Amino acid sequence: MRQAIHIFLKDVRGHWYEIAITLAVTAAFAFTGAMQSTFWRNGGQSRSLASALLVYVLPLAWWILIARVIHSESLPGDRQFWLTRPYRKSSLLGAKALLVLLCINVPMLIADAIIVSAYDFPIAPMLPGLLWRQVLLTAVFILPAAALSALTTGFVQLALTLAAIGTGVLAWTFIAPGLNSDSGDLWFTLEWIRTYYQVLSAATAALAIVAWQYARRKTAVARILAVAAVILIAAGIEWISWPTAFWIQALFSQRGFEEPAIAIHFDQKRSWSAGVLYEPHSVRLYIPLTVRGVPSGTQAMPIALTATIGAPDRTSWKTTGDPPSNVASEGQLTALRTEVDKAFYERVKDQPVTIRGTLYFALFGHERITRLAFQNQFVDVPGAGRCTATQALTGQSYFVLCDSAFRSPKDFITMEWMDLRRNAGRATNPTLDRSGSPFPADLGINPIYQYSNYDVLQGPASAADVHTMEPLAYVKRDFEIDNLRLSDLERH
Amino acid sequence: MSEVLRAVDLSKRFGRTMVLDRLNMDVPEGGVYALVGANGVGKTTTIKILMNLQQPTSGRGEVFGHDSRRISAQDFTRIGYVSENQEIPEWMTVEYLMRYLQPFYPNWDSSRANELLRQFDLPLQRKLKYLSHGMRMKAALASSLAYRPALIVLDEPFTGLDALVRDELIEGLLESAEGSTILISSHDLSEIESFASHVGYLENGRLQFSEEMASLSRRFREIEVTLPEPAGLPPNWPSAWINVERSAAVVRFVDTQFERDRTLAEVHRVFPQPKQVTVDAMPLRSIFVTLAKAGRKAA
Repeated sequence: MRQAIHIFLKDVRGHWYEIAITLAVTAAFAFTGAMQSTFWRNGGQSRSLASALLVYVLPLAWWILIARVIHSESLPGDRQFWLTRPYRKSSLLGAKALLVLLCINVPMLIADAIIVSAYDFPIAPMLPGLLWRQVLLTAVFILPAAALSALTTGFVQLALTLAAIGTGVLAWTFIAPGLNSDSGDLWFTLEWIRTYYQVLSAATAALAIVAWQYARRKTAVARILAVAAVILIAAGIEWISWPTAFWIQALFSQRGFEEPAIAIHFDQKRSWSAGVLYEPHSVRLYIPLTVRGVPSGTQAMPIALTATIGAPDRTSWKTTGDPPSNVASEGQLTALRTEVDKAFYERVKDQPVTIRGTLYFALFGHERITRLAFQNQFVDVPGAGRCTATQALTGQSYFVLCDSAFRSPKDFITMEWMDLRRNAGRATNPTLDRSGSPFPADLGINPIYQYSNYDVLQGPASAADVHTMEPLAYVKRDFEIDNLRLSDLERH
Repeated sequence: MSEVLRAVDLSKRFGRTMVLDRLNMDVPEGGVYALVGANGVGKTTTIKILMNLQQPTSGRGEVFGHDSRRISAQDFTRIGYVSENQEIPEWMTVEYLMRYLQPFYPNWDSSRANELLRQFDLPLQRKLKYLSHGMRMKAALASSLAYRPALIVLDEPFTGLDALVRDELIEGLLESAEGSTILISSHDLSEIESFASHVGYLENGRLQFSEEMASLSRRFREIEVTLPEPAGLPPNWPSAWINVERSAAVVRFVDTQFERDRTLAEVHRVFPQPKQVTVDAMPLRSIFVTLAKAGRKAA
């Protein structure tokens, strides 16, 4: 430990310039972040330029500091003075880790605390989020920077390596869609699983490289590991199936909730909303579904759907794309939305087909309503963060603005504009920015996540009710629709 | 004497190039071993393997009796290594370099360190990047001698230095190295002949010989034979006679296995009626040049 501190003090002395810049940028980030809270509250809509720039400058400062500190006792090569001095490798690694901890992690922890305090979030309940942010920061920025620095001899080599990786990733973004047509689809609530796959893979590989290099200094082997990791991270993301992601999500979300007897049927009452749209080579189908058996006080939010259309001659058509792209959901209305091969459709449209499918949905419950007066004052809204309701100076435009610390909300959030004199309300669409992540912080530089809801009303509104419902469970249900004649849908 | 450094069948290959070929070398405790050879013959590679800076392709190196691949931080408290191509932390001042290194070495002798700094006339407050090559080598050597290491390894320490700086370095080295074992590599034997006790000659990755300096000086002689009349070289030319030169009736060569009586008998066998035979001792530098030339001819 004594040797680690001795090397650490040398690094502080040798890299005071980079350290000072990093601390100054972090301080500026804390300052502008805290100032942003008043800017937003005073009617500002967007982040200041300085604040937006710092989001890029801050990681750059971290990378430069990490690279410079590691390169001062670089690991590849055989000409470094420290190799023939009595350095214990554990002390060397400990010294570098200590510097990163004290010059990056701790200042960022303090900056985050300052910013969330400025937004009036109490610190103690925010502690898990504050700490988890440091875990993510370490996994996403520090470890990869340390790993690449441990594989390179200097800053030029590191920059060239980064350029090569950047080019590779760019090339992959062009190649990947050709290999897997689903890769561009968004997973919305489940997107965090793909993100965490990348974060976890990158952090594990980086940690292994750093540990290996500091223990063995076998750079060739470590470089092969790095290339393999980059390929695995880029390609692996294409191989995670949506059902697997849903299984993971369900695993994290199940809290002793007894699954209700929910069943899915063709929605005869809404057959008017069914539709068939001819495209040059395909036919778009829109088949309304009804979800029955949802327990009172809960709400089922469909998030994905897979289906197979089976013809009497045993030929079939399977929905393409990632499952979230096959579901249309608006309020309580749910539908199968898919594109079918034109030749298949023409052949089976007048025959009774069977649609077998699986609907994936989230169940929300424990509804809470928080009333916000148009007072331009932020109040706690459980499950949503801290929100305020404002009315535009002219016209009938109304906003609800919310700040959430460290992450987008887990809850299902809808707004209702209230005319209290007539005791009438008008509901808005639910907020789309929802994450199913079970962790207390999302990946990102800014600790405050901001979202809003806006509406132009015919009549006056005197308050906004924010309805929040907690996620209870993520479940899936198989369904079967028999004897459906697709040509009947064309008549509607 | 036990061996402080050993190379056992040490080989190193870079791609298709064999840089070291089954090298065997022993550096005895307390000895000053000069590893000599032309540029690019494998001296630095040998030292780097022994210092665990590179890995051997086969064979092994030993330092203080254990595998060089496992030299520990503890071992390095007893080793002083200085190389002409070693990178140093250029942002440090001379004084800070010494102050920084001190806690790493339990045997650090501050008074000796100050003495070395004075002796080498090093500017304490100047950053290493602003020092001349010679000054840097002095700083490196001072920082490697201040703890009186049991083993001092110097890789081409005098390359590019003027005679004055070289003499200062040698003086400082010898004053601090009492009782230490020294391995020093050089492409110029004259730099180290005054203080080396053993010499190993490396050529094309192979150690041609490894022996005590005194024995080496004894067995190399330049021989000049004057014949009664010009004649060609006889067919049964001894293999130990190298670097043959002929001009009219005079033949000159170097005997690499000189023993007075045996050599003179051999001369009379090869040249039955020589007019005159002169035998001259050779300075070590001439021995080295002779060997280098012979090696090039053979290649």
